[in-house]
Amino acid sequence: MTFRNTTTTWGTLSRTLHWLIVAMIVVQWSIAERAESQAGLEKLQSLYWHKALGMTVLMLAVVRLLWRWVNPTPELASVTKSWERALAKFSHLALYALMFAIPLTGWLMSSARNFPVSWFKLFTFPDLISPDKATYEFFHDLHPLLFKALVVVAALHVAGALKHHFIDRNDVLKRMLPFGRVK
Amino acid sequence: MTNYLRSFRVAGGIFALVAGGLSAAADKPAAAPAKIAPPTAPIPSPAPRFVQAPTGNTLGFAFMQAGAENHGVFKQFAVELQYDEKNLAASKLLVKVQIPSLDTQDQERDTTLASAELFDAQKFPAAHFTSSSITRRADGSLAAAGKLSLRGVTQDLTLPLSLKAAGNGHDLTGSVTIKRLDFGIGQGEWKSTEWVSDEVKISYKVRLVPAGPAPGR
Repeated sequence: MTFRNTTTTWGTLSRTLHWLIVAMIVVQWSIAERAESQAGLEKLQSLYWHKALGMTVLMLAVVRLLWRWVNPTPELASVTKSWERALAKFSHLALYALMFAIPLTGWLMSSARNFPVSWFKLFTFPDLISPDKATYEFFHDLHPLLFKALVVVAALHVAGALKHHFIDRNDVLKRMLPFGRVK
Repeated sequence: MTNYLRSFRVAGGIFALVAGGLSAAADKPAAAPAKIAPPTAPIPSPAPRFVQAPTGNTLGFAFMQAGAENHGVFKQFAVELQYDEKNLAASKLLVKVQIPSLDTQDQERDTTLASAELFDAQKFPAAHFTSSSITRRADGSLAAAGKLSLRGVTQDLTLPLSLKAAGNGHDLTGSVTIKRLDFGIGQGEWKSTEWVSDEVKISYKVRLVPAGPAPGR
């Protein structure tokens, strides 16, 4: 396995970023769910972790996008039909867009509520917009809505990967698995 | 018996003194008050009073929460300054803050801050500062030493004040850092300073205008 991507497989950095972000999104969801029923200091702590991790996802997403630009992208298996290619392209595009949009709406929500975002108490991100109740409520609704959209697209993404692996029996899934070997 | 006689004699002495004073007053009226009770210091003439203008005043507070600085303001407060730059002994600063007017631009945080474990705004709706002395510091700014009463606790506090002449009044600015736990702002879980700092920075910007009838316009 190489560090960089090749035309046939994903490199170490791409795979690490992929799975790290998957894991972080799961953690983010569980923290957010728990925070819903919390109050006071507990909620404050949950939201602190949620924001710090969310901003980390955003920063990793930037790294991921840049890395994708300066690297070859592994090609899809030659047998893949054109509608499958279109669907894959759409879902990848949507996943990337949501990977940016969800943390960004969270950041906007915090700014609109006059709760600046700290990154692990090391530094504070600047507020994007000035506090406003209506704006806050808008982003407060949009943030989980985008997450639901992410779940739907991610399900499509997983279904595609499993189809490649179990039906088409190609390397598409294996080349993204942490220790997947490509023939 | 002896005590009774002595007190009778003392009373007689006082009578004699007063009578003497009265007769002296009849001779030289101007000198008489100085003879009876010489004042130790001249009575200070009252310093001109200033109150805050209807707009352009802010009283803000800032604290660290979960790694980030959080800001809020008190929307309702009253400032009165009795100030004569040539007579600081007669100068005085009075501040009253309406605690329920706190605003951090988030309803949930405002409610939490006003709750019994923090400001307890229902039981202690007002905070007061009253200066006992105003002195001039080396840099020319003022320091108002006095007492701050907040959430039922009174503590010594010195407020740094910068006064700048503005129109026929003054612009007063400054900031001071206090510790919320000194005033019991933080009971139960909020006693911890891990997520909400003990230090709270208070900053003020007040436009002071001469007190009295509002200028007709």
